[in-house]
Amino acid sequence: MSSEKKNEVILIIKKIMKKISEDVVIQKQMPILDLPKIGYDNTVWSNEKRMLTIGDKKIEVSPDSVKKIPTFAQYLVMANAVKKLLDEDMESTIRGMYYATLSNVGDEKNKQKFWNNQDNSDDAIKAVELLTGIPREEFSVTSKPKGMISGPIKLRVGGDIIDCNLGSRSTSQLIPTNIGDVQIEDVKADFVMVVEKDTVLSNIRKSGFIQKYNAILMTGSGEPDRATRIMVKKLNESWNKPVVVFADADPWGLGIALRYKIGSESLSYDSDRLVTPNAQVLGMMFSDIYEYNIPEVARLTATDEDINRANDMKKKPWLQDKKWQKELNLFLNKKEKCELDAFFKHGFKYLAETYLPQKLRQIGLI
Amino acid sequence: MYLKSLNPASSVLKKDEQKPPINTQQTAKMDKHKIIYNKKAESEFFVDNSALAGFTGERILYMAVRELIENALDSCELFSILPSIKISLKTFDQSNDLWVLDCEDNGTGISSDKLPVAVCSFLTSAKYMEKQQRGLFGVGLKMVAAFSTKDTDFPIKVWSKSMEESDEYYYELRTDIGTNKPIVLLKKQVNKSESHIDGPSGFRIRVVLRARLVPITKNKIYDYVTQTSIVNPYAFITFETDDGMFSFDRRTSIMPTPAKEILPHPSDMDLQTLKKAISKHSGQKITLPKILCYSFQKLSYEKAKEIISNSDLDFDLKDTKISFSEHDLIKIVNICKKTKFQNPNTDHLSPIGQGILTIGMMSEYTIVSNKNIETTSSDNNKRDAMMVNEAKKLNHDKEDKNFSKTETSNIGASKPNFSVRVLQPVLTAYTSRTGIINNRPTIIETGLAYGGDINSFKLYRFANKIPLLYDEGSDVAREVVSEVEINKLGITKKQAKEQFSTNKESKRDRVIEVLPIHIFFHICSTKIPYKTAGKESIASEGELKSYMKSCLSELYRKLSTQIRKELKLKEAENKMKLYKHYLPFIVGAITDSLGIKNSNLDDSFSSLIEKHLTKKPPTGVGDDDNVVNNSEPPHSGFVPKSSLSLSNKAVDLEKKKKLTISKNFKDIGDKSIKNTELNKTLSNSSSNSNASFVVSDKPKEKERRHKNDKKIKNSKKN
Repeated sequence: MSSEKKNEVILIIKKIMKKISEDVVIQKQMPILDLPKIGYDNTVWSNEKRMLTIGDKKIEVSPDSVKKIPTFAQYLVMANAVKKLLDEDMESTIRGMYYATLSNVGDEKNKQKFWNNQDNSDDAIKAVELLTGIPREEFSVTSKPKGMISGPIKLRVGGDIIDCNLGSRSTSQLIPTNIGDVQIEDVKADFVMVVEKDTVLSNIRKSGFIQKYNAILMTGSGEPDRATRIMVKKLNESWNKPVVVFADADPWGLGIALRYKIGSESLSYDSDRLVTPNAQVLGMMFSDIYEYNIPEVARLTATDEDINRANDMKKKPWLQDKKWQKELNLFLNKKEKCELDAFFKHGFKYLAETYLPQKLRQIGLI
Repeated sequence: MYLKSLNPASSVLKKDEQKPPINTQQTAKMDKHKIIYNKKAESEFFVDNSALAGFTGERILYMAVRELIENALDSCELFSILPSIKISLKTFDQSNDLWVLDCEDNGTGISSDKLPVAVCSFLTSAKYMEKQQRGLFGVGLKMVAAFSTKDTDFPIKVWSKSMEESDEYYYELRTDIGTNKPIVLLKKQVNKSESHIDGPSGFRIRVVLRARLVPITKNKIYDYVTQTSIVNPYAFITFETDDGMFSFDRRTSIMPTPAKEILPHPSDMDLQTLKKAISKHSGQKITLPKILCYSFQKLSYEKAKEIISNSDLDFDLKDTKISFSEHDLIKIVNICKKTKFQNPNTDHLSPIGQGILTIGMMSEYTIVSNKNIETTSSDNNKRDAMMVNEAKKLNHDKEDKNFSKTETSNIGASKPNFSVRVLQPVLTAYTSRTGIINNRPTIIETGLAYGGDINSFKLYRFANKIPLLYDEGSDVAREVVSEVEINKLGITKKQAKEQFSTNKESKRDRVIEVLPIHIFFHICSTKIPYKTAGKESIASEGELKSYMKSCLSELYRKLSTQIRKELKLKEAENKMKLYKHYLPFIVGAITDSLGIKNSNLDDSFSSLIEKHLTKKPPTGVGDDDNVVNNSEPPHSGFVPKSSLSLSNKAVDLEKKKKLTISKNFKDIGDKSIKNTELNKTLSNSSSNSNASFVVSDKPKEKERRHKNDKKIKNSKKN
């Protein structure tokens, strides 16, 4: 990461600290940290951007009540820890930050933990992002890599080139999470195909799909991390590669597919950096269960949670077109769901050699 | 049954009779095998088996103090005299372990002709009747006298001014242990000028006893006097020891209704009681049904006739001159055992009563010692030591203030300091049940004192107003306390441990013991189900345990409002405290980031936050206060009518002020809301459980406490 960026972050943190100190010592007033509220009640669908964006709601974190003092302290401690990390020119995962700031508060009688669990410290890291206006990857706080990529693309990480096409029949590359240090060097593929799970990705890769259709295969291994989403967006918007997404035919899978396309509530403040509105969610459709004759034994019964989620989704502005409404109604009628892996029932090559090409042909991608 | 018990006895006799003819020629051998039957004097028997009456080695002084106090109280209560008891136990001759025990009361006294027998002859008592009394057997005082005679050559000195004779008599006595008869060394009428008894009547005894006083026993003696004072708040007791003078004030002039002698209940009838009843009426010309009807309670003439006719006796009911054989009478007994009668009445019992126990609990006079605390802290393991230290700190705080205002002569004395402290709880509650246990009507009274000066858990057990101090572990009260769930208090075990425990690491299994509660159990019955002959613990007989449990549950429910209120306050307080611990994190983060140390930051921050937090108190306490103070007078809301009027009469003027005049409107205000609610529920509650709820305000002024704290005056001048 560039030293300018680093210095910028340090400067912002110092400014925040200085402001608090002045408020207290000179102005004798309660310091207040102003943050946008994060969560579903402050997430707004933007028709124009075709993605979820953050609303106007703000929260004020100030040590003016017994309840808020711990939060205020947590934010400042985390900000200071970030500054230290940058001072030392190191990198850390979010778990690393949790451990670096772990401590006990209180005396023998009233002991409690500074963080109840890592979720607390993750929230504090988000707060530092919001306070500084800089995503955490840019101040070297990353998460464990879990996204994978395979196909004709070259990445430059630090000083080294990673050619993801090498051995792309048998292996994939982890998508580095320190995206500040990652650049896309060259892309030779015609399109990008994102699948929900790494097991499915391995199957498709092994079949020679990449070579046959000149495609880049990617997966977020479930819920995609930021690095994966950013990579998808860059390939689509900077390299003009069409992106198609395949996930399981259930409300959960559809949700994951939509992370790429419209973003998420918890990261709505960062949608501009993470969301690929042009991505196309191609499958697996609920109707595919029946069109491709998935045997009954490979179908799963929808849970109550699934039904609730689907009913919820039906009302979402981004799922209003007829095609999706039809699909969701079908699901609510049949109450059956299905995983991409279910195609293996038709043979191990069926998914890569029959289903996917048919779907891609429908939209004229191949 | 009668025959069975006779048979083995007669066979033994036969054997003895057969022996002499067989061994006629060998006289020496005969002597050897001859069994000699002697009659032993009662006095000799009891001295030989002193353990039967509890007089064992280390406990001699404890038992002696106990017997004298109990006799004194019984003697006063018989005629509703407010007891004033002066007892003194002092070293007399240290090298020979001699003690002089002196006890004076203002009771009925003993008339001069009966006095020597009453003091010295075992099994002589005015208390052989069916009613609740402390002493029953005519053994205690005699035991003290016999031990004095046995171990020393000092006379027992007795002064007595009985109700019937207005003259005071002085006796010097010893017991003839071999014959169970008193030896009168001196008897004289005392002139007014040399009088040892101030009041219109009274009794005073001074004995010299030989005994070792180990610290444990000494503490038990102190506990005994302390606890006696709690359940007898109408008694003025002074207790003088080598540690100084302890004084237990009279806190009320109301005494429990004295127990009345009652007739035995027919379901308790046996051959002996029946024969006794018949012989009592033998001279009079009355029929058997009449005799039954006169001699037993809950037995009407009709019912008596019915019983006799049911027992198939072949005689004319109207005949008054029949002599009954035991075989006839046992038939009546058998029928009575099978017949259902009304429950026995409880006139012969004298419970402490709600008013009196409440007064006792509201100002608990307790002998405390500093040394006691220190030794326990060194003896106990680390875990408990912390708790004790905490307590010590608390004590010191209070003691220090005492020292500054009272005499300073005791500071620096290496001797342990003992003093009387008055513990005033924040709240007391009372409830009672009546039931039949051991075939006898039994009253179970329970009380609870919480918070205020009380800072630890303690269980008090009483049987017929006598404190039980030993064998707590095996007492039914212990089980009851363990088995009643703490959630009846409206809090969870976790909350109790976290918020009320002075030491979180404490791994006591009974959570209730972390709370500052004193629990009182009092069982009145003419037949207390004692576990052992030592009469120190009560067995869980019949429904006793379930009655006790239901009482305790009820007390817990009454306390729950207060506990929950305190819990809320404590939680809020703890949260308030937390900010102090977060401040260093905040300040640390700022100074660390800026790389500059701003010494003002810490102070400014904490004053800023403190100002902010105190401006907005966490609960709306303020509003509640106003509402209550405007709408109600400070105390009428929280003392139930009955017990308020009671305390007006009971508490003498100064104490009354102390208990009812509210110095702290805020405290009272809070309580009164809750208690008015409580009173509502109480008035709806069932009639057989008689319950009340009294809240005392804890006087905030230190002065008051100093006044009550009686410091020790060292009795020895040098």
